[in-house]
Amino acid sequence: MRSMKPPRPSSLARAVVATAVLLLLQGDASAHSTTGNIGGFVSGFEHPLTGLDHIVAMIAVGLWGAYLRAPAMWLLPVVFPVVMAFGGALGVLHVTLPAVETCIALSGLLLGLAVAFAVRPPLWVAAVIVGFFAIFHGHAHGTELPNSANAMTYAIGFVIATGLLHLSGIALGLLLRWPWGHVVVRLSGAAIAVIGCLFLTGTIKA
Amino acid sequence: MNGPRFRHRGWLFSPLAGLALPAPTQAHMTVQGMSSFMTGALHPLMTPSHVILLLALGLAVGQHVPLRLGAPLKAFASLSALGLALTTTGRIAGVHPGILSGIAFAVGGVVALGKKLPFVIPTILLGTGAFAIGLDSGVEKAGAWTVFGTLSGTWVGLLVYLVNFAFYTSLAAAKKQQWLQIGIRVAGSWILAISVLMLAFALRK
Repeated sequence: MRSMKPPRPSSLARAVVATAVLLLLQGDASAHSTTGNIGGFVSGFEHPLTGLDHIVAMIAVGLWGAYLRAPAMWLLPVVFPVVMAFGGALGVLHVTLPAVETCIALSGLLLGLAVAFAVRPPLWVAAVIVGFFAIFHGHAHGTELPNSANAMTYAIGFVIATGLLHLSGIALGLLLRWPWGHVVVRLSGAAIAVIGCLFLTGTIKA
Repeated sequence: MNGPRFRHRGWLFSPLAGLALPAPTQAHMTVQGMSSFMTGALHPLMTPSHVILLLALGLAVGQHVPLRLGAPLKAFASLSALGLALTTTGRIAGVHPGILSGIAFAVGGVVALGKKLPFVIPTILLGTGAFAIGLDSGVEKAGAWTVFGTLSGTWVGLLVYLVNFAFYTSLAAAKKQQWLQIGIRVAGSWILAISVLMLAFALRK
């Protein structure tokens, strides 16, 4: 597995960053709309970007994937949106889960620590950990769906934003090709763990 | 060296960026001066559930090289035409969103798995998807020629979009870089995730 050739980071990272920037450039007309296709897309796209606890956990998934290298680098961002969608479906259907906010905060803490300490478990263990936390992230988003939003485009925006957060983490993780990049990535993991801890202790409110 | 390489890979991300840019028109919107044929041709692109399903079908067909469009395209063309023709009976008021999402779920799952399945399975999925999209593309209250023109445009549009999605997917799949093939599977997983949410929305209603 380790012998698999990693992608060339420079061009891929630039493509990811350029796409992320373009996606954030919303026009005024659509940004003010809360209904219809565009309104639904904007609502869904904004949703994963509105909570710091969600953002850091999703970036941590990408970072951890980059640390684990291929195929985990790509498998984890495949697993997370799918399982998160199942969690979102539970939220949409008003199925209650226990300790949702606690588990979301815990995900930031544990995934951040995994990156900070460069933990490299077997692939299936990493996938199970990521999948477990994804259910709670999805549930939180599913329960907060605005009634006015177009469901289809809301789902599209929601999944794309989540995927782009993972890609941002992977792009940051591509710094691992340089020795100083290891320091940056591990420090990023530590920062994510601290943020997760602050959410867990209630110092920062979700 | 990096410049040209970036240009070649960057195109894969452009559809994502395009989705986020403010669209000048909305789904089902009639543009003054546009013929019924063109209105019909644009209809699949203006209906998010159809775009997602078409994209999933295109990814499924083009994922495994060499690209074989013969039987899948025949199934797609004939069953989409049948679905569109049935809408003229006036007895079909569209397809439940859960059905379109269910098909997209299955096709997205096939793409995300990345396994080469027996040829008949993608063909069946393609035919089912085509029939569902056709049934869901009916024209409300219009003259016979307008209906004919719109449905013809929709049929041609469906074929053009599917062939394009499949062709560009096969171009990416044919490259030696592993991340391109994985990128196709990631796209499949995103479609799968969108479909799961859509199914939940459909069940909630």
